[in-house]
Amino acid sequence: MSLPETMPYTGWRWDDLVFLALAGVMLGSALLVVLSRNIIRSGLFMVLSFLGLAGIYALAGSPIVAAAQVLVYIGAISVLILFAVMLTQSKAGPAALVFQRQAWIAAIASVVLLGLIGASILLTDFPAAEALPTVHETREVAFLIFDANVFAFEVVSLLLLAAVVGGIFIARRDESADEEGA
Amino acid sequence: MTQNEWLALAPFIIVSTLAILIVVVDMIRPGRDHLAAVIGAVGVLVAMGATIAAGPIGGLGGLPPEGMALFGGVYVRDGMTAFLDLLFLGIALLTILFAPDYLIPRKLPVPEFVSVLLFAVAGAMLLGGGRDLLILFLGLELLVLPGYLLAGFSKRDGLSTEGAIKYFLLGSFSSAILLFGLVFVFGYTGTTNVAEIGDRLAAIASGDAPLPVALGMGMALVLTGAAFKIAAVPFHYWTPDAYQGSPTPVTGYLSVGPKVAAFALVLRLFMEALGPVRADWWVLIGVLAAITMTVGNLAALGQDNIKRMLAYSSIAHTGYIMVGLAVAGGATDPEVAASGVQGILFYGFAYAAMNLGAFAVVAALQHRPGVTSQISSFAGLGRRAPILAVAMTLFLLSLVGIPPTAGFFGKAVIVIAAVEGGGLLTLLAVVIMLNAAAAAFYYLRVVVVMYMRDPAENAKPVDVGGWTRLGLIVAGAATIAIGLIPAVTGAALDWTLEAAKTIAGL
Repeated sequence: MSLPETMPYTGWRWDDLVFLALAGVMLGSALLVVLSRNIIRSGLFMVLSFLGLAGIYALAGSPIVAAAQVLVYIGAISVLILFAVMLTQSKAGPAALVFQRQAWIAAIASVVLLGLIGASILLTDFPAAEALPTVHETREVAFLIFDANVFAFEVVSLLLLAAVVGGIFIARRDESADEEGA
Repeated sequence: MTQNEWLALAPFIIVSTLAILIVVVDMIRPGRDHLAAVIGAVGVLVAMGATIAAGPIGGLGGLPPEGMALFGGVYVRDGMTAFLDLLFLGIALLTILFAPDYLIPRKLPVPEFVSVLLFAVAGAMLLGGGRDLLILFLGLELLVLPGYLLAGFSKRDGLSTEGAIKYFLLGSFSSAILLFGLVFVFGYTGTTNVAEIGDRLAAIASGDAPLPVALGMGMALVLTGAAFKIAAVPFHYWTPDAYQGSPTPVTGYLSVGPKVAAFALVLRLFMEALGPVRADWWVLIGVLAAITMTVGNLAALGQDNIKRMLAYSSIAHTGYIMVGLAVAGGATDPEVAASGVQGILFYGFAYAAMNLGAFAVVAALQHRPGVTSQISSFAGLGRRAPILAVAMTLFLLSLVGIPPTAGFFGKAVIVIAAVEGGGLLTLLAVVIMLNAAAAAFYYLRVVVVMYMRDPAENAKPVDVGGWTRLGLIVAGAATIAIGLIPAVTGAALDWTLEAAKTIAGL
């Protein structure tokens, strides 16, 4: 027995359902990253959120981007962050979140904004919504990065360099302060 | 790439190379504070030379007057790019001149400061020339990311760290909002190229159809994100804390550099991409402008700390500049719309000189660590340091908008454009005049404290370092020359008008 072309009753395509499931996983775990009181759990939920995004890339027809997402964000960045958390975690931190005094107002504002954005998407007929071109070959991805968007690529590397210089400055031990302490 | 393409990209390449060069020099010869400042200042001058050599502005430069598009149109060097690049480089030069005398006594490293500042300026230059949503967003991030770091540059100072964290959280939040808005614009038009977005919206706008809901949502989000960046009311709450906490030369830079650069972004997005639907946004900008200048000025009236006062006054100046944008969007006559854009550029130029100058005087007073930035610390400055007091008076009079200073012509260009626009725009001109009168009170109060109050008993003599002195001469000369020497005023007006007219559709 084969599945019908579209979902019964709703008329949605099946990949819409997959998209909704993946987006739900991504946003739900992103929310848990923020709400979780345990920073290690936050880090693990972040991995789950990245995984959901990788699934969406794959669904949108870009397996290479999905693979890069898994390799770079889950394989490298998340692991690095978890290590950093384990190495630097201090017991002295506050047990409860200190920034949460306006949680209810924020929640209401978020729901209202969600309603507005959702309504504006549903009420609009997007003229440019043709099927996205899918990119399967590494060759095509390479052309996109190093030919069509080469300037953006170079700017991103400059941005990362600036962030590294700044990050090292913030993290570096203050030499003059050490002298005073000695 | 052809020779002209290299020429068009040269200023950006020079600034980003310079930022890297300073890191490398600091690695080879660590801790040479003055060396880094010299390399930075000279390099910025070289980049200014390259900008003039490339042009195309004021009949100068090797590029064709209609400009030059690179990488398939994602970066364009035209009159507007050239003018804005010169302005950003001028801001960088003054900031580099004002920084060492403040940073060195506090044992803060100058090389890192100059390098990070130059990265930010490279980002600002991308906003000046970017014609692609992707480049514009990346430029914005390259502009603000070093800004967060500069705000927290004084790592051991609690206020500095607090201001930096507030700036960082609200800044990244607003970047996300702006990005979400850009996604809506991209989703509706199907392109990231600013000129193409304009073309596709022109087709929609001519059909007399109501604004599509999703595009309206996108515009609202873009406007919200941009309003955070320029510190417009009601998105200004981070400003006083970030400005007060930052090291004073950084405050000067933050009040000018990111603000003018964000206005460049707003011009590209609203005048070029969303220009065809300008009837749907200009009233909102005008209302925000009126609220912004009024709230900024009223809040500034009650401040005892000069950095907080100048922070609120910078919010008020945002309001004045936004009137130029409202004129550009609301005027039916293209000539008047062009003079609205001209007002934004001219005011940005004048504001950069006078505001950086004012913050430099505050920084000079804080030469020794531990001096606060209360207005009372200016008491008797007219006798303790006459030249410094005269310089501060000049900058404050210019901020009020009294002739013959740069600030007067800045306000004049915007007010005249608003009056010519007619209707609601004339009302905005009236609001500007009322606000300028109210603002005179708190600026002149500082002058009164400087000349009519006796200095505190334990007041120490103020010694102004050589770097600061040079910077004050440059800022003061710019402030007075635009106002007093007709040839300079004329050139500034011509260049800004020429730059304004390169905006598509004007």
